[in-house]
Amino acid sequence: MYNKKNKNLTPYAFIAPHLILFIIFFAIPAVFGIFISFTNWNIMSSPKWVGFQNYYEILLNKDSTFYMQFHNGLKNTVMFVIFTVPVSIITALSVALALNAKPKGNKFFQSLFYLPSLLSISSVILTWHFLFNRNLGPINNIFNLKINWYGQQPFTWIAIVIITVWWGIGGNMVIYQAALASIPKELYEAADLDGAGAIIKFFKITLPSMKNQLTYTVIMTTIAQFNIYGQPLMFSKGGPKGSTYVLLMYIRQLAFGSGESIAGLASAMAVMLGLCIISVSSLQFFLLRNND
Amino acid sequence: MNNIKQQKVSEVQKKQNKINTNNKKMFTATSTSKIVSFSFLFLLSVVWIIPVIWTMLTSFKLESEVQTVGFKILPVQWVIVNYVDVLTNTASGSIVRWFLNSLFISTVHTILVLIITSMSAYAYSRLKFKGKDFLFWLLMSAMMFPSVINLIPLYKIVSSFGWINNALAVIVPGLSGVFNIYLIKQFMMGIPKEYDESARVDGATEWVIYTKIILPLIRPILTVVALFSFTASWNDFLWPSIVFNDVDKMPITPALQLLQGAYDIQIAHLMAAAIISIIPTFLLYLFAQKYFLEGLSLSSGVKG
Repeated sequence: MYNKKNKNLTPYAFIAPHLILFIIFFAIPAVFGIFISFTNWNIMSSPKWVGFQNYYEILLNKDSTFYMQFHNGLKNTVMFVIFTVPVSIITALSVALALNAKPKGNKFFQSLFYLPSLLSISSVILTWHFLFNRNLGPINNIFNLKINWYGQQPFTWIAIVIITVWWGIGGNMVIYQAALASIPKELYEAADLDGAGAIIKFFKITLPSMKNQLTYTVIMTTIAQFNIYGQPLMFSKGGPKGSTYVLLMYIRQLAFGSGESIAGLASAMAVMLGLCIISVSSLQFFLLRNND
Repeated sequence: MNNIKQQKVSEVQKKQNKINTNNKKMFTATSTSKIVSFSFLFLLSVVWIIPVIWTMLTSFKLESEVQTVGFKILPVQWVIVNYVDVLTNTASGSIVRWFLNSLFISTVHTILVLIITSMSAYAYSRLKFKGKDFLFWLLMSAMMFPSVINLIPLYKIVSSFGWINNALAVIVPGLSGVFNIYLIKQFMMGIPKEYDESARVDGATEWVIYTKIILPLIRPILTVVALFSFTASWNDFLWPSIVFNDVDKMPITPALQLLQGAYDIQIAHLMAAAIISIIPTFLLYLFAQKYFLEGLSLSSGVKG
């Protein structure tokens, strides 16, 4: 009797530690995060229901500073996503294709391109902040430029995109390499017999065979880039003129900055950002999956 | 008779010739693509390696040398004064302290991740219980939830536990992640059920099967999970910068931002600090590169 009961409970004992942590540190914050976006919460006192007021404030009330902050932050975030995702994906794919030809030094190149993904964003920005320094940095000096990379658009965006691509192609590159290695050689041999050229083979064989991995990486990269924070914070401090001030910086500042916390309103911004992430990644999933 | 033989021979020869020319064609094709690929990779790798090398070389230069316009690539005078300064300066917080904080946080976090996720994965892949499929589905769908929404409430929960400026604030919440459970469960599916079933027949408890049979068999995936958990924890930036405001308690990744303010334009010092901060993840990569690269293919669901 005891034994049987014991046996029935054993599985729950195995999942309990994670499940409890999951409820406390994931499920509750997720539900609460949506709830407080409808309140005037300031983190300290108990939240009071205000309906859609926070959403009205950030989405429609043109006289509000929060309206300006939300629109500027979201615009900058979306711009960053649009600039970075295609460049990241194409660079990672090109590198993987080149590595797949197994040239000399193959392994060395792979290690090198993967290396930056193991570095923290703060160490990466410390380094690149110096490289892009106007007077002392090697980039301006090597190319004999006088560009103010931190304070003049479009150069600040260009710098941030370069840094992000440099930092982040490693993971996708390895995934593409594995995908390329698993494409059956017979497919290419058959295409050779039909006299297909390299470009046709790439679009008719290579890309379709990597569809799952491409879908996965495009979605994951997009989600990651929507959460951009460290690069503009440490590289350009949101400047010049707020043009790289991204949504997460506003959310952080409003909820945890100096002065009274406006956590309710910041949560409304977070929910809107979350909705953008879900809609864009669902759309990508739908488009990439259904274009047979 | 002879004729037929000769015909056959010549046919074989023809075939041989055809194969030869095909091979030749293929050989030149692959060697061109190898050359093109190599050139492309070589050019791009220059862009990739320059920041790393420049940072290292700059960290060994005198500050006065860096500040002079019209620089040289190699230090005129190799010095370690930047490292000495950065390591001994405690006015804006001690980098040694931050480094040790990070080492503690990332190590404890990694060990707990291994224990908790492998136990959970064991139950979801091997044991029968009510609500199993639903629970697992629920966990998997949670991965789609945008975690930016959790940020503010999570702060409240952590602070109500009294964990502000406490290592627990960065060790514990991350243990709720579900991706590693999925990863380990997938790996466990590849282990024949006969191993544990025969032990079960012999009367072994689930705990014994888990610790004595399963854990040793899943060591490769645990290594992957450990490496990624450690580096992710070491490199975490936004969350620790929110839950730590006491400079002494901070991990090194968010603390570098403080240094950026403290050293301002003392570039060689900042480069030395950046180098110090990446030593552990760099060493891990050096020794366990294979696992990092294999783990990525596993996690994207690529299977051969």
